[in-house]
Amino acid sequence: MAEDEYLVEMRGIVKRFPNVLANDNANFTLKKGEVHALLGENGAGKTTLMNVLYGLYRPDAGEIKVYGKRVEIRSPRDAIRLGIGMVHQQFKLIPVHTVAENIILGIREAGIILNTGKINQELSRIIESYGWRISPESRVWQLSAGEKQQVELLKALYRKARILILDEPTSVLTPQEATVLFQTLRKMAAEGMGVVLITHKLDEVMAVSDRVTVMRQGRTVATKRTSETNIEELVNLMIGRPLIKIKPTRQIPEENHILEVSNLVVLNDKGLEAVRKVSFKLYRGEILGVAGVSGNGQQELLEAIAGLRKVVSGKVLLDSVDITNRHPSEIIDLGVGFIPAEALRYSAPEMTVAENLILKAYRTKMFSKNILVDFKNVEKTAQELVAKFNIVTPSTRNKAGNLSGGNIQRLVLARELWTLPNLRVLLALYPTRGLDIASTENIHKYLVEKSQQGASVLLVSEELDELMELSDRIMVMYRGEIVGILSRSQYDVETIGLMMTGVKKLEVQA
Amino acid sequence: MIDVGWISSVLAGAVSAGTVFLIASLGEMYAERAGVLNLGMEGMMIIGAAVAFIFTNALGHGAALLAVVLIGLVLGVSHAVFSVSLKLNQVVVGLAFTILGLGVSGLITAAEIRKRFILALNPETPERLVITQEAAKLPVIPIPVLKDIPVIGPVFFNHNVLVYFAFTLSVVMWFVLFRTRFGLSLRSCGENPSMADSLGVNVYRMRYISMAICGMLGSLAGAYLFIGYQPFWVEGMTAGRGFISLALVILATWSPLRAILGALLFGGVETLQFRLPLLGVAAQLPQFLLMLPYIVTIITLTLLSLESVRKRVGAPAALGIPYTRE
Amino acid sequence: MALRLERRLEISRKLSASISAFFIILAIIAASLVFELLGVSSVETLSKIYYVFTTPATLLQAVLRGLPMGFAALGLCLAFKMNFWNIGADGQIYMGMMAATGIVLMHAYYGLIPEPLVLPAMVAASFIAGGVYCALPAFLKARLGVNEILPTLMLNYVAMRFVDFLIYGPWRDPKGFGFPVSIVFPDYARLDSFLGHSAYVGFPGAIAVAAVLYGLLQKTTLGFEMRVMGQNIEAARYAGIRLGRTLLTGSLVAGGLAGIGGLVIVSGIIGRLRPGASPGYGYTAIIIAFLSGLNPWLALPASVFFGGLLVAGDVIQSTLNLPFAAVQIFQATIFLMIILGEFFKRYRVKVVR
Repeated sequence: MAEDEYLVEMRGIVKRFPNVLANDNANFTLKKGEVHALLGENGAGKTTLMNVLYGLYRPDAGEIKVYGKRVEIRSPRDAIRLGIGMVHQQFKLIPVHTVAENIILGIREAGIILNTGKINQELSRIIESYGWRISPESRVWQLSAGEKQQVELLKALYRKARILILDEPTSVLTPQEATVLFQTLRKMAAEGMGVVLITHKLDEVMAVSDRVTVMRQGRTVATKRTSETNIEELVNLMIGRPLIKIKPTRQIPEENHILEVSNLVVLNDKGLEAVRKVSFKLYRGEILGVAGVSGNGQQELLEAIAGLRKVVSGKVLLDSVDITNRHPSEIIDLGVGFIPAEALRYSAPEMTVAENLILKAYRTKMFSKNILVDFKNVEKTAQELVAKFNIVTPSTRNKAGNLSGGNIQRLVLARELWTLPNLRVLLALYPTRGLDIASTENIHKYLVEKSQQGASVLLVSEELDELMELSDRIMVMYRGEIVGILSRSQYDVETIGLMMTGVKKLEVQA
Repeated sequence: MIDVGWISSVLAGAVSAGTVFLIASLGEMYAERAGVLNLGMEGMMIIGAAVAFIFTNALGHGAALLAVVLIGLVLGVSHAVFSVSLKLNQVVVGLAFTILGLGVSGLITAAEIRKRFILALNPETPERLVITQEAAKLPVIPIPVLKDIPVIGPVFFNHNVLVYFAFTLSVVMWFVLFRTRFGLSLRSCGENPSMADSLGVNVYRMRYISMAICGMLGSLAGAYLFIGYQPFWVEGMTAGRGFISLALVILATWSPLRAILGALLFGGVETLQFRLPLLGVAAQLPQFLLMLPYIVTIITLTLLSLESVRKRVGAPAALGIPYTRE
Repeated sequence: MALRLERRLEISRKLSASISAFFIILAIIAASLVFELLGVSSVETLSKIYYVFTTPATLLQAVLRGLPMGFAALGLCLAFKMNFWNIGADGQIYMGMMAATGIVLMHAYYGLIPEPLVLPAMVAASFIAGGVYCALPAFLKARLGVNEILPTLMLNYVAMRFVDFLIYGPWRDPKGFGFPVSIVFPDYARLDSFLGHSAYVGFPGAIAVAAVLYGLLQKTTLGFEMRVMGQNIEAARYAGIRLGRTLLTGSLVAGGLAGIGGLVIVSGIIGRLRPGASPGYGYTAIIIAFLSGLNPWLALPASVFFGGLLVAGDVIQSTLNLPFAAVQIFQATIFLMIILGEFFKRYRVKVVR
């Protein structure tokens, strides 16, 4: 293969972060005129690898060649100069400015006085050549997600990018907008550009890419021509685990359900539908696992049930009581606990560990007498919890903000699992994310304990083993909808994996 | 009698009084567009007035204006050191500057201290200038031909140089802000500094520059207040005009051209306060009029908070938040 | 060689206190330099200030003069702890003054209130007036998300002008020789009618308030909610805290206390209402709140200190020919130094080679 056919060659890239080896000797090449998919689960290292290429991270080892020449990319500015452009998941746009203003920001060649006429003309030319419908003079806040993405693409194209990286671009798009995007990508490839598509969605890979590189746990596992592989093979490479031994089933009395969700519609932070008419029932005493790659509506679903996010339409019934859109304090009082994904977001850093532990329970009889807070009891309970949950802190009076990440997570868990005496439903959002093995096992133990005591658990997790081990049923979400619900006897990694990537659908058994 | 002549003179008064607000709010606007909230404007303004007072009596108008601009530059940059580099809370820093400014300028109310400063600058200053509480007003420079246009002429074209400067500046600043690369970069620092940073804009430098401009214009506004409008020293003579200018920036939705309208509005209210009693209107009404600008500001702020409005003409998104490069 | 800033993870009380002390001393030195530059002997000035605090009579005056700012500062400790930037303490003081005067007038002009009830009514009225005035911008924040800094600031001027309007108009003392002052408050409407000196009534009152505030913040559920709100509003919502309700309650108390401060001015110090009765006390209260680290107990001695500066300012003004502004400079210097101190408490400066 002639050297200059490769636009990019990355060899032996190593990138370490304090807790994790994000890229472990990763290799990646990009040819002229191809759309190359970078496939893998969350945390596999795909975004990190491309951030290295874009200059956002410096690699600890390895070399990068662009257009055949060895280069050092120290910052996005270097990358842009080399003709590399990146479109991130979160758009970096200024809503009140026009499309044109967003694009020419930072370009020195634009001169002192902005020649808007000329700039608009050039932009229109590019827009037309791709068959888009945006106008350089519209304000960005007026545009839809798909159009905003086109502005991001325009940013790179205007800077004469030859290499384009897109990070999970369809996560914010409707299916129709995704189709338009793919047409755009193929056109770019046809013009001789190289496009890297970071994704976890298999249908996309098969639809638009020429080659695909699969990453797993920081390593590049394989690179194949898309035409020479199939979905099953890719799933295997992506997930690559042996089948799990399934523990003996617990018998769930199927009589009554404690939580009923019907036709729930919830929006995400960007105002798009994250939960699309979801309906399901949660039975008493069961652990219902929610599988799926993060970003498919799981977080919004749990937040909506907990009262932390507005329900646009649909109902949530707790033991036949309508709790849709009630104030969080009421929902807490009715016995619904919520373990958030980002512990720090829901803690008060300047207050003590003890105070944070009872953050939600301060109103209950256990910790308050009339208007006074019973701090003696608070301290006592705090000591117990710190011991039980292995929260590393010099004392319960230590400021919560000083705890390390893992410890804050444990604090939040302790808070949810123990301080609500009448816990009936526990909503757990990625409770073991970032935790070590011992803590993870502890949490598993508690979840099972709670469910044996009669509480029901809605467990969202990205770890299939965890879900398969603990859950009585697994519900798979993709693009805000329930793709299927499996009972224990039906657990199968491949099937679930395919459902997670939207390829397979099952009859939904509510 | 309310006739055309009366209206004309009220409007001319509005221009005259409004120039203070205009100059100050233009400076504040640039700072806020870059993302820095300067609550110290009141202090910078009165320091400008004090400096103008002393320098005019010692060395004349030219030296005074030069000194005011330089000191304003120092003030602006000092604020930036606290708010941009040290990333301290901008509200607190601004209040400190205001209190400091009020104190420092209050000093020259004392004749003894004034004397020291004036004589230090120019030992030859005649006695009466050393002890007086007044200073020479900036000369009025009528613009030939234009000033004779009926009605409009005396309103706009019969003022001193700083008035003309202010209105011209407003147009220039509008152009720079919206039609040049510098202005675009400045606005981005206030909307999304991390994005601007990643695209090559030096956010810290931008914020320092805009604070420097803010300081210079703020002090200049104070200087105008004294030698251009009311050259009789009273302690605390800014009377909250600095804060009103902050309100004006919001009222003008951070646009230099709309600031002219706001300045005329506030200037008009101030002028009416003096004129209305002469018409025999109850003497207490002016006090009510004086409350109007503040109430209008609060209403504007409320309206701006409504979602639909906020999308179109809101404050710079990153206003008041110190920027740290991750 | 360069300087690098490192965030401190935690700071011991000792280090925090010593940094504060260091910067206050720095402030005194800086102010002294300014005085010297102005041709005033800093030694004399400082000794006058020392004299004020060590003579019983002037110390009592210092306590009294500090009370209005002290009450307002107590309220601000609460407001700032909730992350409610109440810059409107001055306006709330004015409203308190106005309400108190209104009660006196209602009694004196219309006989609507019996004598013994006048003072209690004044206390209640000034608290309510200040409280409601502070709750207005709080309401805008709770309902519409309007940032409270400018509204509270603007309301200061509205209150001032309104009081001016009243005092130049309907509330002008007909026997005041045309001066814009209200009638003199009768004895039973004055704080010094009980124990001789207003401070004997006011200061214990302030101590009581500080105790209540401290207890509220540290020991009650409401105080707990307020503290969480001030730290992290998302966490507060997640904990089930009713944000709007808590905000309004807190602002009512904060404004109410400032209103009481106003009461102390017209009923305990001046004895009537006149324009400019509060020359920026509300802003000094902000400095006091910061200086005491939002701790109600520390706000009391701090307010006595600033009250003493005011008294000293009077003395200095008459004997040393230094304008009142000197006191303001001193205050501002302290403020700036505290801010600098805050910075050093938050960051460690390392020299990197």
